[in-house]
Amino acid sequence: MWQRRAFLKAAGAGFAASLMPRQVLALERNELVFASSVQTSSGGYGAVLLGERGDLIAQIALPDRGHDTTISPEAGRGVVFARQPGTFALVFDPSGREAPVTLTSIEGRHFFGHGVFSLDGRLLYATESDFEAAKGVIGIYDATDGYKRVGEFPTYGTGPHEMLLMPDGVTFVIANGGIETHPDYGRAELNLDTMDPSVAFVDRRDGHLVGQLRLESGLHQLSIRHMAIDARSRVWFGCQYKGAPSESPQLVGYATMDGEIRLIELPLDTLRDLRNYVGSVAVSADGASVAVSSPEGDLLVAFDAEGGRPVLVETLRNGCGLAADGAGFVATSGMGEMVGLAGAERDRQKFDFAFDNHVLRVG
Amino acid sequence: MRLMLVLLLFLGAAPVMAQKLTTTAALANAVNEVIRPGFADLRAEAHGLVDAMADLCAMPSADAQQLAREWFGKTATAYGRVEFVRIGPLMEDNRSDRLLFWPDRKGIALRQVQAILADEDASATALDTLRGKSVAVQGLNALEFVLFGTGAEALAGAEGAFRCQYGATVAQSISGIADALSEGWNAEDGIAAHLMAPNEAYADYRTETEALEALVSLISHGAEGLRDTRINPFIAQGEKAAVPKQALFWRSGLTMAIAEANIEGLEKLFAVSGVALIGGAADSGLDNSIRFEFSNARRAISLVTGPVEEAVADPKQAQALAYLVIVTQSLQTLVGEQLSAALGLSVGFSSLDGD
Repeated sequence: MWQRRAFLKAAGAGFAASLMPRQVLALERNELVFASSVQTSSGGYGAVLLGERGDLIAQIALPDRGHDTTISPEAGRGVVFARQPGTFALVFDPSGREAPVTLTSIEGRHFFGHGVFSLDGRLLYATESDFEAAKGVIGIYDATDGYKRVGEFPTYGTGPHEMLLMPDGVTFVIANGGIETHPDYGRAELNLDTMDPSVAFVDRRDGHLVGQLRLESGLHQLSIRHMAIDARSRVWFGCQYKGAPSESPQLVGYATMDGEIRLIELPLDTLRDLRNYVGSVAVSADGASVAVSSPEGDLLVAFDAEGGRPVLVETLRNGCGLAADGAGFVATSGMGEMVGLAGAERDRQKFDFAFDNHVLRVG
Repeated sequence: MRLMLVLLLFLGAAPVMAQKLTTTAALANAVNEVIRPGFADLRAEAHGLVDAMADLCAMPSADAQQLAREWFGKTATAYGRVEFVRIGPLMEDNRSDRLLFWPDRKGIALRQVQAILADEDASATALDTLRGKSVAVQGLNALEFVLFGTGAEALAGAEGAFRCQYGATVAQSISGIADALSEGWNAEDGIAAHLMAPNEAYADYRTETEALEALVSLISHGAEGLRDTRINPFIAQGEKAAVPKQALFWRSGLTMAIAEANIEGLEKLFAVSGVALIGGAADSGLDNSIRFEFSNARRAISLVTGPVEEAVADPKQAQALAYLVIVTQSLQTLVGEQLSAALGLSVGFSSLDGD
């Protein structure tokens, strides 16, 4: 958690002085900072930093629609990735002291909207598409050398989406959604009948495949997309079902580095209201609770990581973004709302921008 | 008399108020006046196609082949007028892919269909065994190759017997799916009923807002699909040269006819449903703006008169194709973002476009 004191420390001396008085006040009052991509009321795209109480700390314009954000206190930088099949990533200084730097994907690659820093903040990794070969890759960027692209590893699948760094600091976990797209065809899904989604564990030092897990073959149209890691290092994932809409397979499960992968049994009425679509997954600060969202079903569900029992089911119109927030979670929506749930005490707030699918608790 | 004149002048001077519709009425219009008739048309044309293929196989001739080709065109364009209704029956049982395997970037359908023809694979000439094969060999693009592709001239004589039988089986498959689609849209407690009268107890549409979001997203995503999968893949862009053989149905010359059918179907769904005349949207002027863009799209398509191979090489036609890309982008924005916002929906953002 990048609480206020840690945030100031990471940003370095002079950070507060560089902010406008209103923003300084906002920071003084806040313990947590959140980041999200947004669409402004005029239709433009950007990314925002929000205080715990919803104060707008900073807003950055983006050339097109952004998606997820990653932050490294060690690097003192955040990165907003373009939504697929976008070709930019914006590296920004949360303190606002340094001008943002825009990365462009190399020829033959585009971003998928997600990425992660190494623990020391020296390398940035992004899920990318080698679209001619219909293969996923992890692009590697050197944060100490102007974010120069220094190489890539395979994701061992097609259509990688979210990637996370395991607590060991050396293993990536990647959700290979299994869906082939190609920029010549926009966002059209090209292989729904032959999808092969998987969870892949990849060693960040040399890119070798540590292990790869698939759900049973009858679920090959269950695209594994978003993930979060709990206190026991289990990787919780949320899926989007691309098969017949009249079918309702379970959508949430976990995978472990020991080779276990399973879907948990959500109650059927909850499952029905997820509408075959999980847009975001988060784990609480204590690692004991998991939350998933469905902007298609306007539903937020939190459950305990041990037994998988739902502890909260709440509606939020077009709600998707989820992040740990002290005792519970904060959720954001495409209608510009930010709410607390599962023990997080915060007033429902409405902004004049629409949140994209993800909100990140900075730090 | 003077009073009446004054009243008439007053009425004449008043701003024209848009006729407003309820969401309920718009949803009913969409289902009853556009979607159901559209799938009924597809069903009727597909039955004609089955008959034409049976006639061709029974008495092969150039005339019979020509008739079969015409029925193929009628069926394909009927599908073009509804293919964007990607909810409910079309999304079940891989029907969308089985009717039309597209985009097919790697030419999978071509390879597999050629293999069936070369091997004279008998399992492709019976409906139940064809059903077990790749979706790419069961639909309209497979039948297009049979009727228009290399070697299609054999259909006019006895030497084309296997090719014809395979094509006739594909036509039956298409017709069977068309039947299921029409029946699905007419089922008593099916998607049509749920879309027109949403209910909390339904798994698909719980509220009118959700049903309206689905309707608006069909139009927005339909425009996006036309641009991304039918036009952009084959036109020249930047340093990328035109690739006319990446166009859908270039062999039959139906590329632009299908694009036109898409626009006709989308425009009809938009205009006849009256979706831009609901509530606050009625005063937004969007109804006119969106109709204007549809007419621009039709005009652009009408300028593309040659086969795609010629069209991409002719500056005037290439310009019309490039303009069609801009217009469909504009339609997507107008419907998916502006109309959606005017209706209080969220179609274009976090939901319904996946990520």
